[in-house]
Amino acid sequence: MHTHSSIRTLDELKEFLHEAMRLEHATIPPYLTALYSIKPGVNRDAAQILRVIVVEEMLHLTIAANVLNAIGGTPDLRRPDFVVSYPAYLPDGETDFEVGIQAFGREALATFLKIERPAIRPENLKAGNPLIQRRTAPHKSMLGSHPSNNEMHFYSIGEFYMAIVCSLKEFEAKAQREGGTIFTGDISRQVTSEYYYSGGGELLPVFNLKTALDALELIIEQGEGDGGGIYDGDEHELAHYYRFDELVKGRYYIKGDKPGHPTGPQLQVDWDGAYPIKPNLKVAEIPDGSELRAATIAFNHRYGDFLKLLTLAYNGQPSLLLEAVPIMFEFRNMMLELIRNPLPGHPGLNGSPTYEIGRDVAAQEVASQAEAVA
Amino acid sequence: MSNRIEIFLTLSAELTAFSRFDLLGTGLAEAYLGTLDRVVGDDITDTLLAAFVALPPPEDSTRSQALRATILGNELLGDVARSLTKLWYSGTWFELSYAWTQRFGPKPADATFVVSPDAYVEGLLWKAIGAHPAGAKAPGYGSWAYPPKIPAFPGSSTAKSEAISVHLQNAGIMS
Repeated sequence: MHTHSSIRTLDELKEFLHEAMRLEHATIPPYLTALYSIKPGVNRDAAQILRVIVVEEMLHLTIAANVLNAIGGTPDLRRPDFVVSYPAYLPDGETDFEVGIQAFGREALATFLKIERPAIRPENLKAGNPLIQRRTAPHKSMLGSHPSNNEMHFYSIGEFYMAIVCSLKEFEAKAQREGGTIFTGDISRQVTSEYYYSGGGELLPVFNLKTALDALELIIEQGEGDGGGIYDGDEHELAHYYRFDELVKGRYYIKGDKPGHPTGPQLQVDWDGAYPIKPNLKVAEIPDGSELRAATIAFNHRYGDFLKLLTLAYNGQPSLLLEAVPIMFEFRNMMLELIRNPLPGHPGLNGSPTYEIGRDVAAQEVASQAEAVA
Repeated sequence: MSNRIEIFLTLSAELTAFSRFDLLGTGLAEAYLGTLDRVVGDDITDTLLAAFVALPPPEDSTRSQALRATILGNELLGDVARSLTKLWYSGTWFELSYAWTQRFGPKPADATFVVSPDAYVEGLLWKAIGAHPAGAKAPGYGSWAYPPKIPAFPGSSTAKSEAISVHLQNAGIMS
């Protein structure tokens, strides 16, 4: 059997699954921000497509946590680097591309297509090492790289997941030869569909190799499609890449369509129908003492609280996911307000959530002041 | 932003007790100034804005009394300012009183109407009572188990952070 030497130990595999959670989460802020930047009354098709996709990314995050739990790991979304600093970078073959926080528009959509694009290795690179070394500036948030070496990048997200799949198979085969299993996690830590409504896919418990591989396959297929086809394995659901492609082409796909050639009903996209938020805004760029700055910091705190709650939910209290739902809707309202407020000192540009979670110096100042007062 | 809409926002903040951030957060500031211009006319709108600018400065203790005397108690501006306040709260322009119309003449566009679908959704009243508009901004399954979150108003002693920590206390992750 061909094995990927990129993952050597079970502990390293756990780190890869943490990286998978970080990667799945990293797509959520860009998609959510684009969704909420859409002005009322326009771009209903685009909003619907973004909503469906972002819900599926949340599902993927939870699936990665389930697989990590199944092999005895401890999901932790409170790690300081869990929420990346935007723009972050994703591998795209030999290079990386930027994933940022920006308003809905042609540029955002071009990025989203790259995120979901199935990256196929050219023939001459097929036998190559899955990892490609390249320099990374120390302050850059890299995604889909080796958890212990920021400069070792996977060719694509698909290959990153293939490395996880291969080592799950390899480690489980080895453990079984010795009369054991790597699936030692407590099954009560699994988050299943009863805790996750309108989920965009089935959330099944992971407790052995088959259920783990099925779970990871769902992540890969919903993103890229099944081996180049536009629908996922069950032929029901259009892959994310082709959903975004529908917006670019202005037409829906229907069964039987070839990639790149949708023949379904037309849809309307108003490319200017979004608030002009400043891309990759940081709290430090918002004037001190402004209401917008205070609200931006309040949003970051709330988002951090939400990640704490998710961490508890993924660590044996899955019912807390139901309590997290109202917080998500609360974010939506907070985000809408940020996005509709003009950014002082930047005529023509609006505010935006900054997603500086745990790295927001101003927020720490406020928190320590609050502690001092208390 | 033009000076005119700046004054309109400051006036609206004072009339509604919501902050400029909250008002801009509705995305409707320009639409509401446009509504005022269209219904009562630019001239009356400008008179209202000028009367507001002429008030004593915010730190002056006589300001709030002057606001009552020269705007809310003014025969021409009082009803307009009240309709504007109701517009922010409900997204609906309420037709001016019979007495006002008799005194200043009917305005062709002055009827009770909802400004736009999103004006209904973004009405400040929902925020003021910690609820959401029926049929929009759904707060999520089971959210009704939690007490409503009433925002802090200027002058109120309730800190904003208290208002938003309610869910986490229920979830048991903050003491």
